Amino acid sequence: MKDKQFWLANLVIIIVFLVYWMAGQPYFFVDRIVMLVAMFAMGSTLIYNVRFAKQGGEFYLRPIPGLKAVEEAVGRSTEMGRPILYVPGIQDMDQVETVAGVIVLGHVAKMTARYETSLNVPVSRSIVMKAAREACRESYMLEGRPDMFNEDMVHYLTDDQFAYAAGVNGIMVREKPAACMYMGKFYAESLILAETGNSIGAIQIAGTASQAQIPFFVTACDYTLIGEEFFAASAYLSKKPELIGGVRGQDMIKVAIIVVIILSTIIMTMYENFGIGFNVIELLTVR
Amino acid sequence: MIWKRQIPILIVTVVGWITILGWYIDEPTIQGFVNDDATQWFDILASFAIILGALNLIKLQVQKILYQKPGWIYSIVAVSGFVFSIVAGFFIKGVEDSVAKWGAHVTTDGTLFKWMFDYMFSPLSATMFSLLAFFVASASYRAFRIRNFEATLLLVSGIIIMVGRVPIGSVISSWFIMYLIVLSAGIYVNIWKKDMTVTFIFVAVGISIVTISGFVMGWPIDQPGIFYLPAIQEWIYYYPNVAGARSIMIGIGLGIFATSIRYVLGIERSYIGE
Repeated sequence: MKDKQFWLANLVIIIVFLVYWMAGQPYFFVDRIVMLVAMFAMGSTLIYNVRFAKQGGEFYLRPIPGLKAVEEAVGRSTEMGRPILYVPGIQDMDQVETVAGVIVLGHVAKMTARYETSLNVPVSRSIVMKAAREACRESYMLEGRPDMFNEDMVHYLTDDQFAYAAGVNGIMVREKPAACMYMGKFYAESLILAETGNSIGAIQIAGTASQAQIPFFVTACDYTLIGEEFFAASAYLSKKPELIGGVRGQDMIKVAIIVVIILSTIIMTMYENFGIGFNVIELLTVR
Repeated sequence: MIWKRQIPILIVTVVGWITILGWYIDEPTIQGFVNDDATQWFDILASFAIILGALNLIKLQVQKILYQKPGWIYSIVAVSGFVFSIVAGFFIKGVEDSVAKWGAHVTTDGTLFKWMFDYMFSPLSATMFSLLAFFVASASYRAFRIRNFEATLLLVSGIIIMVGRVPIGSVISSWFIMYLIVLSAGIYVNIWKKDMTVTFIFVAVGISIVTISGFVMGWPIDQPGIFYLPAIQEWIYYYPNVAGARSIMIGIGLGIFATSIRYVLGIERSYIGE
């Protein structure tokens, strides 16, 4: 509440919008006003927490076993003298999961640079290849080991889903990596990859927001980052206050959503059974 | 440095805000950009970038063959496949122009490219896909092993869903399930009390209650509904399952939103290596 700059900025935005609204809201989809308000509230919560963290606010972060295991997996690979296989999903950079996967790759690359462990990143899209290479290059530079960086540690296999799965499986069976990480967007190939990784005895960590693939990863991998845990991975691994603040903001929004769900259920029950109140579903439905 | 740091962040911020706010702006040009142009721009860029990927692939495979690295024999297959696809795609159609023109030949029966697609690519893809059946079996075996309470719950729910969704599930009487529950509960009572008399009394009373209830109600196959497998599987599928899935979806949605906001505000800069 002490962040006067933040509250002032919010106030200005609200006043400007109210003026715009009273002027007849030209070019505005009036039906989408609830969504805009929700987006503004959620965005503000995130920004508030980010600023709070930047100003020295301290938060408790629940330990996530899957993220703790990343360092453990790199250490295991180092001890065994075997590489780490990192799969950033099978989709392009237009998917947030792929972007999150590349970000986590940057952190993993820092660890492999620190422990002098080899890293193998087969990708299925050219743009992902370029982005992943840049992430790895910067990580090796930051760790002071540019000599260890090799462009071909991030290499392209194919765009095709099952051909890619076959290629990655081949790498697993031939090179027998000590750790396999699957972080990104996956489809049916998830189980093929994870089961092959399991068969070679690698420690496996998966992270995805592909809902249908989460059960497969939970079954076949040692650790799985489910949904939001995967998106929070960057904050956990980097320990940057501004990113950790965002995670706290997400949790606050989640609490707000739970409250909205409970209140909406009560309002809707009252409306449908006793005719009291209004149709909250009509209000909250995004058009 | 400005080209590697500030400019990319500026592009992400500007395009990000246009895309977010464009959703609320009722103006055809902005709507066109958000719904079509932006995605088409990405597709065009990705199409050009494929050359980079192909060059990288061929470079690594040729290096493997030249230096005879482990597994180089497989690289010969990869390079041959690559060359064959290019020849079939750009140089040899395998049919006359009257049958298929260049471009259309990739989908026309009888051409070399289509032959390759139908008789090499498709069967190979299908082979990989069909491996899933075996992997599902081995993964299910591991998941269903009774190790703790959660695994037991998973096993029981899995069996109910599987049996309840096939035709045989609907001919299993709910009374049979009730007898099964009484006997299973009897096992637990025996483990708990370690007294055969108590177990016998429990099972005898349970069976008697079920049997008397059956005679009273006339043994309807689907009554009481809570013991009828198709009804139970439907309840599990539509209530606990959907509740869990939706909670994960809310978390995912929030994660995507937070990540996007971090990007458009320039808080997250890992994508440019910072």
